[in-house]
Amino acid sequence: MVYEVFARKARGDRLQHIGSVSAPGDELAKVYAHATYDEEKWFDMWVAPRDRFLEVFNVDRGVFVGER
Amino acid sequence: MATTLAGSAADLRADVREAVRDLVLVLADSKRLLGFRYGAWILGAPELETGIACASMAQDEWGHARLMYALLKDFDEDVDRLEHARPPREYRSMEVLDREPDDWAGVVGLNALADTALSVQLAALQRCGYLPLRQRVEKLLAEEQYHRAHGMAWARRYAAATPAAREAFASVARATLPPLLAWFGPQDGRGALLANAGICESAPDELRRGFLALVAPVLEATAVAWPVAEAVPLELDGFDEVRRRRAGAGEGPDAETITRVRGDRNRDFLLE
Repeated sequence: MVYEVFARKARGDRLQHIGSVSAPGDELAKVYAHATYDEEKWFDMWVAPRDRFLEVFNVDRGVFVGER
Repeated sequence: MATTLAGSAADLRADVREAVRDLVLVLADSKRLLGFRYGAWILGAPELETGIACASMAQDEWGHARLMYALLKDFDEDVDRLEHARPPREYRSMEVLDREPDDWAGVVGLNALADTALSVQLAALQRCGYLPLRQRVEKLLAEEQYHRAHGMAWARRYAAATPAAREAFASVARATLPPLLAWFGPQDGRGALLANAGICESAPDELRRGFLALVAPVLEATAVAWPVAEAVPLELDGFDEVRRRRAGAGEGPDAETITRVRGDRNRDFLLE
């Protein structure tokens, strides 16, 4: 499963998308994100499974893609 | 015994000083060897991400080893000799690190069990009366948190896998636990000296219990027909308290490992 990884530099900053990891489940996804992206000093870091992200709209494919 | 806070090794009583020096060298050598073992699996691990985790853990362990070796200057040790000139039989690293793991289950065994045993020992030094050691422990333990998360997650993955995979990890656990439990040492030896002197917060039996409590959940889940933890034999007859090895444990790490760990082939470039 692919997990998207997000982090922010400092408290109050906007959360940035910094990459992704493949992992069999939540536990290893967190560990792998930490190992892969900890070279920089982050304030916090989050992962979420890619398949839980819902597209809201896309200019190329129409105004609203809520119904497909 | 009243605990004194020692700002340098010279402030420690002679017998305590010797025991602390030996403990620091045990930690330094074990971390250097553990880092080397992780490093060998950066490529060839089951997943790209877990190989990256091995790289990161190897870096951490070598960083910790350097901090520990550097601390030995305070004991008037020749740190360059310790790092680069000792034969395998003088290494104080854990027995379970003597050989390259046969397979990934062996790496997970080192990660979930040996790395955890080292952290249990480190955690007992958080209020160490020898301050230079106490000051280093916090950083080490912070980095170790994710080593344990990685080891435990992988051990649980073995538990949930095929019977053959589960048995591969169980067999690693059966081979690894007796030397690791012995590693904490006899209850009445140097461990007691360090506990009474306010260096180490707990005596060996308590450290063993703490270690087992941390690893028991994954052992129960993974180890097919694993006997209850208390049934793990405690093999302390003839235990070498200086090197923290069981009698008959073998001379030390294999010669090729030590050649590489010492950096023998790169001596021309060594800067000190």
